[in-house]
Amino acid sequence: MNPNESQKLETAVHALLRRMPDRRAPSGLEGRVLAEIARRAALPWWRKSFAHWPSSMRLVFVAGSALAGFAAVTVLVALAGSQGAHQLGNALSNSFAWLILARDVISSFDGRVRQLISAVPPLWLYGGVAAVAVGYATLAAIGAATYRAVSFARQTS
Amino acid sequence: MNDEPPVQNQPSGLAPPADFTTFMRMYQDMVFTTSARLVRNDAQAEDIAQEVFIKAYEHFDMLATSPSAGGWLKTVATNLSLNHLQHYRKRWKFFSEFGGDSQDEDAPAVEFAAPDTFFDAIDSEEKRAWVEEALAKLPDHQRVPLVLYHFEDIPYDEISKRLGVSLAKVKTDILRARAALAKILARADGAERAMAN
Repeated sequence: MNPNESQKLETAVHALLRRMPDRRAPSGLEGRVLAEIARRAALPWWRKSFAHWPSSMRLVFVAGSALAGFAAVTVLVALAGSQGAHQLGNALSNSFAWLILARDVISSFDGRVRQLISAVPPLWLYGGVAAVAVGYATLAAIGAATYRAVSFARQTS
Repeated sequence: MNDEPPVQNQPSGLAPPADFTTFMRMYQDMVFTTSARLVRNDAQAEDIAQEVFIKAYEHFDMLATSPSAGGWLKTVATNLSLNHLQHYRKRWKFFSEFGGDSQDEDAPAVEFAAPDTFFDAIDSEEKRAWVEEALAKLPDHQRVPLVLYHFEDIPYDEISKRLGVSLAKVKTDILRARAALAKILARADGAERAMAN
């Protein structure tokens, strides 16, 4: 399409679309909106978003949160230095000894895998990676082509 | 869509001020239309329109006396519709855009002699319905920028930013959307003439 035709089409389409009237909203829209407003208004304040809480409650909440945070930090610091904290640490390390065993098993397995990979000729590795990539790309292309064929068929039907 | 006047019923519970109901009646067609043309689904457009008016209710102190209330509603309706589209777009973007625009590039040039006559004689209910149908037939990547440009008066560069696509693609998509729209209308006009003869 040459620029003149393009400009002519733009002008014609613009004029056409600007003359289009609004569509009529569904008859239930007004009732739905009013019902939803009423439902939200009837909710107790603590079930609304924080911005809609009474300002006194917002103040109490902020002050309470700050106090709770301060108390939690103070208690943790006090506990960390106590004798009980050391005992708790020992007890926990005994309970989770299996984690150390699991870590050893995994690192041993990892070592074996590394040995195995280093024993495979590099050409085989690159070939394997290339085969996986080609397979993936082929599947993606088939999927995309099928999708486009189906959507095109839907559009034209 | 319905031909009856809007429902007047008031739900139980705390009722909003009567002014808000009047306000909503003034703008509901515009808000619904804005959304419906973008999302191409009446049920989703109704949900979006509901959300727009709930936001409007929250800002009603400011909107009630504002001369730009219509613009505010239109902007919110457009933004919510685009958010809705982009939410779903992520799911099908890969496959739908996988092949690029090659099939569009191969499309023949559009003859729009018939739409010219169509454009002159648009003032009938039936032909307006054809235009709405023709718009709905456009794929999202053409319809959305076309609607934003021609109905919402948003410039190309702003559309490009809001849709997260290049400026060149926006221009190409709008150009092709116009051509596709003209083609669909030409076909509809031709079919009507054939039936009349």
